Amino acid sequence: MAEATPVTEKTSAPAAGQRSVRSLLASLEIDTRLLGMIAATVVVWVVFNFASDGLFLSPRNLWNLSVQSAAVGIMTTGMVMIIVSRNIDLSIGSILAITALVMALLQTEWLPNALGLGLNSPFIWIIALVIGIALGALIGGLNGFLVAYAGIPSFVVTLGAMLIWRGASFGLVSGRTIGPLDLTFQLIGGGPKGSLGDSLSWLVAAIAIALIAYGLIASRRRRRRYGFPVRPVWADVTLGVVASLIVAGAVWVANSYPWPPGLAKEYAQAHGIPEPPGGLVIPTGIAIPVLIAIGLAVAMTFLANRRRFGRYVFAIGGNPEAAELAGINTKRTIMKTFVLMGMLAAAAAAVTSARLNAATNGLGTGIELQVIAAAVIGGTSFAGGIGTIAGGVLGAVVIQSLQSGMVLISVPTALQDIVIGIVLVAAVGFDTFVNRRKPGVR
Amino acid sequence: MFVRKSVALVAIAAVLVAACSNNAGSSSGPGSSSGTGTANCKVGVAWATSQEERYKLRDEPAVKGAVEAGGGTYLSGGDAQNKADIQATQIATLLASNINVLVINAVDPVAVLPSMQAAIDAGIPVIAYDRELENAKALFLTHDNVLVGHMIADAVTKVQPTGNYVIIKGDKTQTNPIFLRNGMEEVLKPLTDSGAIKIVAEEFTPDWKAEAAQTEMENILTAHPDVNAVLSENDNMATGVTAALGGNADGKVKIGGQDGDTFALNRVALGTQVVSVWKNSIELGQAAGKAALELCKNPDITKVTGAKASKTAGGLDSYSLLLNPVPITKDNLQVVLDANWITKDVLCKGVTAGSVAGC
Amino acid sequence: MTAAAVTAIQAPLVEMRNISVSFGGVRAVHDVTIDLRPGEVIGLVGGNGAGKSTLMRALSGAHKADSGEILIDGNVVTIANPRDAKALAIETIYQTLALADNLSAPDNMFLGRELVSGVGSLDDSAMESATRNVMGRLNPNFKAFTQPVRRLSGGQRQAVAIARAVHFNARIIIMDEPTAALGPAETAQVRNLIRQLKNEGIGIFLVSHDIHDVFDLSDRISVMYHGRLVDTVNKADVQPDDVLGMIILGKKPGEVTKSELDSLR
Repeated sequence: MAEATPVTEKTSAPAAGQRSVRSLLASLEIDTRLLGMIAATVVVWVVFNFASDGLFLSPRNLWNLSVQSAAVGIMTTGMVMIIVSRNIDLSIGSILAITALVMALLQTEWLPNALGLGLNSPFIWIIALVIGIALGALIGGLNGFLVAYAGIPSFVVTLGAMLIWRGASFGLVSGRTIGPLDLTFQLIGGGPKGSLGDSLSWLVAAIAIALIAYGLIASRRRRRRYGFPVRPVWADVTLGVVASLIVAGAVWVANSYPWPPGLAKEYAQAHGIPEPPGGLVIPTGIAIPVLIAIGLAVAMTFLANRRRFGRYVFAIGGNPEAAELAGINTKRTIMKTFVLMGMLAAAAAAVTSARLNAATNGLGTGIELQVIAAAVIGGTSFAGGIGTIAGGVLGAVVIQSLQSGMVLISVPTALQDIVIGIVLVAAVGFDTFVNRRKPGVR
Repeated sequence: MFVRKSVALVAIAAVLVAACSNNAGSSSGPGSSSGTGTANCKVGVAWATSQEERYKLRDEPAVKGAVEAGGGTYLSGGDAQNKADIQATQIATLLASNINVLVINAVDPVAVLPSMQAAIDAGIPVIAYDRELENAKALFLTHDNVLVGHMIADAVTKVQPTGNYVIIKGDKTQTNPIFLRNGMEEVLKPLTDSGAIKIVAEEFTPDWKAEAAQTEMENILTAHPDVNAVLSENDNMATGVTAALGGNADGKVKIGGQDGDTFALNRVALGTQVVSVWKNSIELGQAAGKAALELCKNPDITKVTGAKASKTAGGLDSYSLLLNPVPITKDNLQVVLDANWITKDVLCKGVTAGSVAGC
Repeated sequence: MTAAAVTAIQAPLVEMRNISVSFGGVRAVHDVTIDLRPGEVIGLVGGNGAGKSTLMRALSGAHKADSGEILIDGNVVTIANPRDAKALAIETIYQTLALADNLSAPDNMFLGRELVSGVGSLDDSAMESATRNVMGRLNPNFKAFTQPVRRLSGGQRQAVAIARAVHFNARIIIMDEPTAALGPAETAQVRNLIRQLKNEGIGIFLVSHDIHDVFDLSDRISVMYHGRLVDTVNKADVQPDDVLGMIILGKKPGEVTKSELDSLR
């Protein structure tokens, strides 16, 4: 039953004629926290670009940055859900190591020898990948079972798991480095051959823009149908245009990064393409690990916002008793968050080892701290119930930007850690300060 | 009341005295290890780390094998995870286990001294294994880390005497990276002074991690696209550097490392890495085991077979059994094959037969 | 009229017979029997630790009774968890409201019973629309449908909790201290609502400390004392002092001596 006229809810919107930034943002209905994250990223980028004489915002560096943030970004999507439901997972680095090693051994020894397939046979990469992710799910499931059903605090369970699986990693290979990996598997790590190239990248951009447009139109139509207030047309159009520009811009940057000249020359010769003066320029495009990371981030966001599982995770984080009384199977939900986390760690393992073209038993040491930091910088609260996937991924990008940027401008090693520590506190502190001053009902 | 209290005190005191005298009367007392013989010779080894290929696969089995072959008992202190405080605890535990000889693979040459002194005070002879420590009373069984750095730089500058150099160093909280860097400097200084070589970047790498080295190298390349050579303080990080260079299949960038990591040796055979400075840790471990057994019979370090007068890094007069690291390049791959360090199929994976000596 | 039909008319809406609940070795509820008829409000009163909330938790599925029977419409039922209770059209408004502060009013309304679209995704718009309808009846001024519930006032949060019970067509509603955190205007609103629900034939268990509320709204009053039922009386037959005596001394009106009564003043 639709109401007569769409009543505007913006009770804090000032009288007509008085435009404030706040009412502008309210019209756009953007989460101000996310906006703050984006602003922080932009500030960091601009500062580093200035300090590095324009190197930071070069296509090469931005492309590198996207690949370097991928593994942490992938795992942050899962960590957000874990922290939102009032848990923690300290074992992801060790899960990364053991799954990477198993996938590497499958590619270099077990599958070629056992199945007599030989190295680089066509299906090895996918078999290894599937087994790796299944292993991640199993380990995550074990963690989840102990937390949800045995009632052991997640800090303790995952701390133990961190030690157990790190030890198992070492025991599995006795410190050996396993490599090189299957040629197809390596593509998961990026590099010129592990990227989409310009046509496919533009196709991805077109699909993304189409989805954005569809999303805006469908949401508007749905709200109209129920008689809810809708954003003014100009707001929807602005949002759509800005989002599309960001997508197009990102793809343009990725396509502006050319293959290394030596590789391009090889390609030209191999395909009989005459080389223009200055060498053949082959645009690299979106790196496959970046595509995987973005895809997983979108999927996890969908899971968090639009599926019951995600709703239950947030409910448990907000008020576990209320969730129980509402009849939610909280134990099963919690267990699922850990299974997901294990699978995401395995995905990150694939990306990291493919990129390195090897698996070592020290892989991923200490990465849990980076992932947790990314989630927290991105707005996830340890009190539970609050956090966004997009914020977490942005947090991962900010941290990697800081680390990479400082190497770029040769900041002395001692100063690097100090800077990261200060920025971490400042980012979260600023966010806390702003949100404390938020008005009551909008 | 008073009587009860004093009886309790006396009882406690008696128990303590008995416990202490038990320890003192054991074979860890001064001079008590003379005449113990190799049977019942208990050798305790404090490892700095197990996280590298060589320790688990080579050093430890070699020490253990040599000790047990001579009738002794091997006891490991565990993995100190490259942390000095953990190592101190582990050495204390070993000392409390009635060992006759202590072998220390030091995490930190200065932080380990109190633990070492505790051993000396208890009359236990000490062997310093593979890593520096600043005390004249230990028998040094090392490869010289400064020399390793020197060899890495030497091998790479021979094939790349000019151009832009990058140095990838190990974990900033440890001392080995400094010794290695000093060794490299011995070779590099005249070349940098003359302007033939320019060091465009040098970075420490947390935990000596391969993936961290990869990210570092990528960022260095963004700032300095034209790099001609990379000196990496170990093979693990060299793996990351190689990946950052897209595999370096044409060997255009000259990379040097150390450890004789099997993956790195394969790269040397393929031509994507110039040198891996190799310490035959099997040989080292065996020498340590034998020396430990000799010290059980006679704790005088000057009497150990092959021990020579030498000086520590800090200039103290001491004795050592020095083994030389060997730089492995494509010209002498046979050395590692002969030493059974690596099998031919692993070494020559992907290498065209006959393209290098040994494959 | 068939025997079954006669039974159906005569059977109470809810009967709890000989219910006992213990935890941690303590008998919180001991052999209590109460019942509720359609369109009736039972005021369930007693001091702290009397066992009233625990008794209701056995009915709401939050804590299964150790022994005894529960009958709905004359049929024996098992209530092992909150889902069982909701399936029997029993809705509860807990003293703490059981709302997830970080979620919105529609999210909370439908928590555990979300409306989904064809592919199983949450249909937030349908849920918001339904919530607007319900809230429109209860609290026409309520506008904060997209805010997390933590930003609402006590009365608004109460309204959401009540709306949740009303929307799902409860036939039996348990209200645990519904006006405890409310101001006078909001309390009056809740009182009106309870009268409205009574008229619709819904049976209500009203757990309350407030004697005035109980006397104003209930038809019968059940008093508990240290886990046992002292008595169930018709409101019309007793005075507030009698009830106070039952609550504080655990004795039925006729058993209280004059000196004990004086000591209450």
